[in-house]
Amino acid sequence: MRLDTIPVLGPLFGAGADDHGFDLLLLFGPLIICAIGILHRSYVSFALALFYTAGFIAYIGYQSITMP
Amino acid sequence: MRVHRGSMAYDLGRMLEALSVLLFASLLIPFVWQEWWAIPTLICSGILPLGLGYFLTHRFEHSGDSGRLHGMMIAASGWFLVALFGSLPFFLLAWTAQLDPGFLGVPQRYTTPGTQAFGTLSVFRHPINGVFESMSGFTGTGLTMAVHENTLPRTLQWWRSFIEWVGGVGVIVLTTAILARPGSGSLTLYESEARSEKIHPSIVTTVRTIWWIFLLFTFFSILLLWLAGMPIWDSINHAMTGLATGGFSITDGSIGTYNSGIIDFTLIPIMLLGSIAFPVHYLILQGDLKNFYRDLQTRWVFIFFGAGTIVLTAVLFRQGLYQTATVSIAGVTLHGTLATLIQSFRYGLFQFVSAASCTGFQTANSLGSEWAPQAQLTVAAGMVVGAAAGSTVGGIKLIRLLTLMKGTLFRIRGVFYPSSAIRTFRLDGRALSGTEASQEFEEAAIITVLWLAFLAIAAFVLIVMLPIGPGPDAYTVENVLFEVASAQGNVGLSTGITGPWMPSLTKVLFIFNMWIGRLEIIPVLVLLRSLFVYRGVYHR
Repeated sequence: MRLDTIPVLGPLFGAGADDHGFDLLLLFGPLIICAIGILHRSYVSFALALFYTAGFIAYIGYQSITMP
Repeated sequence: MRVHRGSMAYDLGRMLEALSVLLFASLLIPFVWQEWWAIPTLICSGILPLGLGYFLTHRFEHSGDSGRLHGMMIAASGWFLVALFGSLPFFLLAWTAQLDPGFLGVPQRYTTPGTQAFGTLSVFRHPINGVFESMSGFTGTGLTMAVHENTLPRTLQWWRSFIEWVGGVGVIVLTTAILARPGSGSLTLYESEARSEKIHPSIVTTVRTIWWIFLLFTFFSILLLWLAGMPIWDSINHAMTGLATGGFSITDGSIGTYNSGIIDFTLIPIMLLGSIAFPVHYLILQGDLKNFYRDLQTRWVFIFFGAGTIVLTAVLFRQGLYQTATVSIAGVTLHGTLATLIQSFRYGLFQFVSAASCTGFQTANSLGSEWAPQAQLTVAAGMVVGAAAGSTVGGIKLIRLLTLMKGTLFRIRGVFYPSSAIRTFRLDGRALSGTEASQEFEEAAIITVLWLAFLAIAAFVLIVMLPIGPGPDAYTVENVLFEVASAQGNVGLSTGITGPWMPSLTKVLFIFNMWIGRLEIIPVLVLLRSLFVYRGVYHR
């Protein structure tokens, strides 16, 4: 399934940088926030949030290194 | 004219439809928090703009594109209408609690006089307080009529944050993103909402990309704040209002409630993100990090924020307001003067970034009564200037200040050259011809003069209406200038003047200041002139 075919959010995915890394971050962001709402502050939720934020920053760094 | 009136009505209808989408989407919140009594309010608040919007869009469906003049009138009247209809949840929820129909099960704390919750919500029974809150939200100002924000129903806490989040990017940007209009009308409207930057050749793709960037940063900010120790509901609300540089809080003492250095320092990059133009964000997300220093405005955001923080820290340190015996940073304990300096830096950095980014979060509870006039005026200077054009901030904007400064120097230097000399005015790496330079300079000068003129008018009215002078219940002139700059710059920091206790005329005045501040004055003046001409009050 292509992300830009998802109803309502599809045009948003299609409008971005045409980059699957950011598409995944856009998709997983609300899911992790919902998970925190359910799990509250636990090791699992903390790890998920840390992984997401660190991944976000690392991905921009990676983009800058691999930029032509 | 008839054709244009039709296209205006059509576009206003679309904006109202977009507003109803926001209201219906917010129905999720009372379901999550089990505030069942708020559901009818949201449904009624959504049906009204939807009905009117549907009527207008269908009645005037085949009207042509609007020109620049009508684009400005649509932007100004659209923002006003959206703020007006956006006040319905405040008004209707307050009256639901007041009438307390048994079958809705309104919690007792909202129906019992004397409780903080009752006092805070009942303020919105007066329509002007709801309109004030709504205008403050949509314009990203953050001045509030709610005395105890933490006691507001979750639905209203969300609605305040949500309208600031949407307003930060722009109501027209939202409307264009979800209800794209064929033809060149979208571009005209987009430019009338104080935006000119284009990421892609197509305006519809540009606004969708702006939302793409904004959503990504919102998720990132929420999780960052949660990691810093904020509860998840607080993180969601503060990330939305921080990134949109709005400044509404869901706590009584804004960010000062948490009294956490980690949270203070975590909010700095979030407010900074909101202060940088979206096209620069787009390039940075693609890995082009050089834009942090290569782009003129972004470079100056850092220089301006840095210089302001140093000045404010020095003033606060000299005043000795934040004297403290010890401060611990990452396990290292600092004592005496160094501890006071660090504490002054913490408050100085946060308050200057909050002011210049036009966010309005507060960590210092005593801005009005305890801060020295020099400190208040430093913060006020930050609020007047603002940050980058094309971001979510208010104020005059750094690029205009830079244009004015460089243009003035260019003119003065020109005196020393022979009249036959060919000189080039350079701005942001662009070489401008004489006509182009004059145009840029003129535009920056007009906005700045208008901005300062309206600031002076509002300050004068406030000085007349409020008790000024010494005494516990009186305000100083610095307080007044600070508050007006805060309202017109869409900042939201307060010295204590703003609240439900204000006279109604000053509320109306602040609503007007917030409105013109968000649209950069000219569209509102164009609308008012047209209305006056139409009504025969003013003749061409």
